[in-house]
This record gives sequence, structure tokens and C-alpha cells, in this order.
Amino acid sequence: MALLFVGAGGATTFSLARNPVPPAPVPPRLVNDYANILQQEAWGFERVLQAFNDSTSNQITIVTLNDLGGYSASQMAFEIGERWGVGNAKYDNGVVILIKPRNDYGAGEVFIAPGYGLEAVLPDAVCKRIIDDEMIPYFRQGEYAEGILAALQVIMPLAAGEISVKEYMPQDEVAIALALIFAIIAVALVVFAVAVVAAKNKNNKNNGGGSGGQDVNRGLRMAVLGTLLSMGNASGGSRSSGGGFGGGGFGGFGGGSFGGGGAGGRF
Amino acid sequence: MKKKLGNVGIIVIIVALLVMWVVSIYNGLVRKDEAVASAWSQVENVYQRRADLIPNLVSTVKGAADFERSTLQEVVEARASATQVKLSADELTEANVAKFQAAQDALSASLGRLLVSVERYPDLKATQNFSELQAQLEGTENRIAVERQKFNETVKVYNTSIRRFPANLFAAMFHFEKKGYFTAKEGADEAPEVDFDFGK
Repeated sequence: MALLFVGAGGATTFSLARNPVPPAPVPPRLVNDYANILQQEAWGFERVLQAFNDSTSNQITIVTLNDLGGYSASQMAFEIGERWGVGNAKYDNGVVILIKPRNDYGAGEVFIAPGYGLEAVLPDAVCKRIIDDEMIPYFRQGEYAEGILAALQVIMPLAAGEISVKEYMPQDEVAIALALIFAIIAVALVVFAVAVVAAKNKNNKNNGGGSGGQDVNRGLRMAVLGTLLSMGNASGGSRSSGGGFGGGGFGGFGGGSFGGGGAGGRF
Repeated sequence: MKKKLGNVGIIVIIVALLVMWVVSIYNGLVRKDEAVASAWSQVENVYQRRADLIPNLVSTVKGAADFERSTLQEVVEARASATQVKLSADELTEANVAKFQAAQDALSASLGRLLVSVERYPDLKATQNFSELQAQLEGTENRIAVERQKFNETVKVYNTSIRRFPANLFAAMFHFEKKGYFTAKEGADEAPEVDFDFGK
């Protein structure tokens, strides 16, 4: 593991082949039972959590993995949350519930990681208590669905009490996109006008030259080019949103962020 | 004559485009610099959070009869020297970040030794107060690991962009300097028993 973090002094030099964090599910879904410990219940949890997302914008995702690939449960939970972008980007109101069943790879592990926005209602001690009191007693007997249900019955009211927003992101994003397009057109017009005036001025002084049209064309081409160049730089940092317009089902993760809150337990 | 005046117009356009281009590069660097600054303030927050927990931890442990004073003393001193090293966002040079990390890592190490010592005091370990403190301490170490990693990521973006052509031409002109990273610890034995080995 140390190797992953040494290169170039940066923490981002993961090699893709060795990174055990699963990629975000396509199509997006909230229950990701990679360890196959939830059978028909998985669909029920998906419905409940989607409805919860629709009504409060809080995104709770359940991920089960057979093997953490050398990561600690906490690290795996944070990275899933951060990379998938669980929760709304504006509120950081995601929760990752990570479960690794007890199996050949070692002891059972569970971690609850709230995003930044839910750390206040799900502080570490509360997460610890949910795990110890609600989940692990069931998990020890292999009753995963019961343990998850008991935990959700505590987590959902807490999360909804903190953040409960019905309207979803796309409105904002559409406005931003429109403003951006407007700005591009405005800049292009200004540059074009400068080019035309410059070309005209010298033509007038010149008593009407024949090469004016050519200059205007060249000016226009350069204006468009310059605008595109500067837009390329300006939009380089803008994030792409996972928020979708999907009519039914889960629209996608919203770009929420995680700060290392939460707690874990072994069973 | 005609040609010469036409060239003036083109020069005006080129200069305008150049100015726009430099401005966009400059603004890009400022944005990345700001991202580093805000990641840094998060790093400071989580370290401060840990420093705030320590007096509570020390007084809880002190209550346990005949707890070795030297271990406690070490934590108190390491905390004092760690909180003295303060860095504002515009002095994040490699040397300064390394100094900051050294002070904080010394505190991590002495905290680790304290928690190991506590293993010898089962009565203390069993108290509600201590187990809650330990959970908080673990959560804080997790947060430190996450914020350090996020800081490193923003610094990497920033450092790459000031070195990349053509931004490197202007980075020096506008005093955008290379910033330091947190480095992963070499020895994995420094903070034993505490399970927050993020990035090792």
C-alpha cells in the first residue's frame, strides 16, 4: 500500500489496476450489494432510499464488499463517498454505509461515513452507537438486512431533520449554463466589434482599401479562436454534475464530499 | 502603405487576445491557489480539533491512579510545540509544510504511545468517558488523514499548473511559488495499536 502514496509526494498517484475502490455504478443506484449478502431485500432498500433521496435530497448508499483490498473500512468508505460523489454537492449530505461480511478474507467490518453536511447530526459517537447497538447484534447472526434496516430507522430521521430539500440541482445548473453561453456570445461580439472598427478605421484613413473584408474575416476567425481558447481555460475547473434529469428511479450521485467523519466496528 | 495600416489592426487584435489569454492564465492560477488555501484551512481545522481534545484526554487519564507521568508529560509537551507551528496559507513552502508535519507527527507518535500505555489500565479503558474520547480521537485522526490527502491533491494540481508551459512563464512573474506536500510516514511503527493507518 505504501507504494501508492509515495510517488511524486502526492496522495493521488493511485495505480488503476491496484485501486480496490469500486467505480461508481452505471446506471447509478444506491444499493450496491457486491458481496451478495442481501437478496430480495436489496430492491426494497433501493426503493426506500430512492424515495428518501427524492423527498429530502439526502443520499444514503449501501455498499457491501467481500474484500477491502488492503484498505481499512474507514478509508474505503471515505473514498467511495468522495469518488462517487454521494450526496448533493451543495449540502454534502451523503452517507456511505459500508459492510464487509465475515468471510475468508477476515473479520466482518462495518463503517458509517456521513458527508460534511451530516456530521453534525451523525457525529462519530452516534455512528459508533448505531453500529454497536443496531447493526452488529444482527450481523453476528448473519442477518444483514435486519441490521441495515435497524440502522436506517435511526439514520434517516436524523438526516431528514438536518437537511430536507425537495427541489433538486438541475435548476441551478441550467441557469449557470445559460449565463456561460451568454458570456461567450458577449465576449465574441466585443472582440468582433473591435476587429470591425479597427479594420474600418484604417480603411477610412486609406480612402477605402480593397483588403478590408479580408481583415474583418481574419479578425472574426481570431476572435472566435481566442474566445474558444479562453473558454477552454475558464471551464477547465468546472465540475461535471452527476445530477440527472431521469424521470423515474435514481438520478445519480450529486457530487457530495466527505471529511473523514463517522465510525466503524468489527463483528 | 495600405498593407502597413492593415497590420496595425491585426496587431491591436493580437495584443487584445494576448491580454485576454494572460488574464485567463492568471485567473486560473489564482483559482488553484485559492483551492490550496481552503484545503489548508481544513487541515488546520482538523489538527486544531485534535489539539482541543488532548486536555480532556490528559485529565481523564490523569485520574487513573499511578498513571506514568512521563508519558502524559510527553503528550502535553508535544501538543504545546505542535500548536506553536502555525502556517498561513501564503507560506506553504516545502520546508514549512515539512516542519508543520514534523511537529504534528511528533504529537501523533506520543499520543500513540499514550494509548498503548492505557492498555495496561483496564479499569481506565473500560470507563465510558475514555471510550468516548477514544472514538473521538479516532474520528479526528480519520479526518486528519482525509484532509491531508485532499490538501495534497489540490497542491498537486497547483504545482503542476505553475510548472506547465506556458503558465510557468507567468507563474514566476506573479510570484506563484511551489508548495509543499504532506508525505506518508516511512516507519509504520510510530503510532501502534491505533487503527487509522490511512495511506500506509
